[in-house]
Amino acid sequence: MAVTWFTDRHFFLLAVVFYGASTMYSVFLWRKGFRRDDWANYFLIVAGVALHTVAMFKRGLTLHSCPVNNLYEATTFLLWALGLACLVYSLLPRFKFLCAFTAPVLFTVGVFALMPSLDPPHGPKPDFSNWLRSLHAATILQSYGAFGLAAVAAGMFLMQQHDLKFHKLRAVLSLLPSIQRLEIITLRLILVGFVLFTVGLVTGQQLPRPEGKPYFSDPKVVWSALLWLVYLELIVARLFFGRSTRRFTIGVIVAFAFLLLTFGITNHYSSLHN
Amino acid sequence: MNVVVIGLSHRSAPVELRERFAFAESKIPDALKSLRDSGVAGEAVILSTCNRVEIYAATPLEPARAFAELKKFLVSQRNFNEPLNEGLYALAEPVSLHHLFKVACGLDSMMIGETEILGQLKTAYDLALKHGHTGARLNKAFQRAFHTAKHVRTHTNIQRGSVSVASVAVELAEKIFNSLGDREVLVIGAGDTSEKTARALLSRGAKSIVVTNRSLDRAQALAGEFGGRAVPFDDWAGEFEKIDIVISSTSAPHYILDRAKLEPLMKARRQRPLLLIDIAVPRDIDPEVNFLENVYLYNVDDLQGIADDYLKLRREEIASCEAIIAEKVKPLLAARSSADFADGRRLPFSDLQKSAQSAD
Repeated sequence: MAVTWFTDRHFFLLAVVFYGASTMYSVFLWRKGFRRDDWANYFLIVAGVALHTVAMFKRGLTLHSCPVNNLYEATTFLLWALGLACLVYSLLPRFKFLCAFTAPVLFTVGVFALMPSLDPPHGPKPDFSNWLRSLHAATILQSYGAFGLAAVAAGMFLMQQHDLKFHKLRAVLSLLPSIQRLEIITLRLILVGFVLFTVGLVTGQQLPRPEGKPYFSDPKVVWSALLWLVYLELIVARLFFGRSTRRFTIGVIVAFAFLLLTFGITNHYSSLHN
Repeated sequence: MNVVVIGLSHRSAPVELRERFAFAESKIPDALKSLRDSGVAGEAVILSTCNRVEIYAATPLEPARAFAELKKFLVSQRNFNEPLNEGLYALAEPVSLHHLFKVACGLDSMMIGETEILGQLKTAYDLALKHGHTGARLNKAFQRAFHTAKHVRTHTNIQRGSVSVASVAVELAEKIFNSLGDREVLVIGAGDTSEKTARALLSRGAKSIVVTNRSLDRAQALAGEFGGRAVPFDDWAGEFEKIDIVISSTSAPHYILDRAKLEPLMKARRQRPLLLIDIAVPRDIDPEVNFLENVYLYNVDDLQGIADDYLKLRREEIASCEAIIAEKVKPLLAARSSADFADGRRLPFSDLQKSAQSAD
């Protein structure tokens, strides 16, 4: 007999448990100074992302569309993009510890996403007949994933830089990448995220909206435009005005923290998205 | 046959004594032959390095007697006519086998965990093997020791980290720069440590070396050695736009680089990271520059501190290495009956001689 009570939310809950285990293991790795090169954390995240994928797949099958219709679904999509990008980038030499820095974000935001109020029962089936709508949602949420991973790499940069500046033994003992490499990865992720975000905003602008409602009257659109400007400023200042790496990486972390903290609120007040 | 070891090392004898007993590689086969012909040893290997001279022998004699004969052999081979007791050590099973394994793993080396000794031990063994001076007993012991050394290197941190100023500097550079392949190094003042550090950076792929010194001739000579170029001492600041790593070791009584001087240079470099290694005493670089963005300053104490910490970490690994060795030596010992074992404590040679006399 098929088990019907084990829903997509249960799968996501299990994924969050693995993210939590990875977070705890990350604390252990951090206390050990990131010295031992092991795959345990990577496989914990692999297990989490696998369960996470099943959860999203099940929800998508139920809806017959990309599962991004409420805050729970949007958040899980964002975390999934972040987790997947982390697994890919962790395969780069000396980037295995990226998982240790990503796990706390996956865990804390995952716990937040599990709050029942973020996942109300679906009303009328959302209209995803327009392919642009799916593309809009997918590119925007993937860009958030790229921004998130950039913030994680920026965090690694700041930790390494601090250790090198203050002559901590951990700077040489740890198996983390060089700070220049972390800086390059952070910048590339921001550029990828920015392109995806721009594509998402452009496609969003093409979508049908209620009669007489100007595009820029929606709080989420205004918020997105503001976010786009923030990231544009970070890129331009870094590439063309020689902003220091430290300030750039702090900016990347602050921008993503702002995104995470205000994402739910703007969604709530947006008539186009809520 | 018992495996015994007799010898002297950096732990027991000063270099003045060690050098008197050193064997040239070309003389070792004859020495081994004469040792076996004397009947003292059925199998033998002589290890002679700058830090130790040791004879590993599988002998049919009682250990105490074997030690007396081996000492006689060593003294006669090297024409040593002075009293020799305290510098010499003699080990019988099981300690002799533990010792062999510890030597192979670098645990008995001056620089704990170094791997050069393993290569030297392999060469010594190969030489004895090639000339037919080893047999079942020593073959098994040495091959197992080599295998254990590999195991220890893989499963512990005994080899981890740099324990010299030059190698710590290279490691720091690798933590800052994406690759050393396109990095330029400026050497200010041509001292011994700066030369070693520059050489270490070059060996790890640094692109080029620029040398400056108060004596341009000396700078040119050093630059020539590195395949780099020399610049007059008054012009070194002009190189800052291109270089990524600075090694400074002048004998200037004051700072030659301070914050006010470096700040505009960093702007010209478009804030690219800069690693400053100040190995001069008194220091050449004002510590204040470390507060500048993208500047990483390390003086000789910082580098030595890291090297010492690494050494401390290696020492902490010794217990786990010894546990592995004990485990790996067990099967070798199990192959022999316990009745064969003599007291295997590590004793100065004088004590062993006394016990040999009482046995007589």
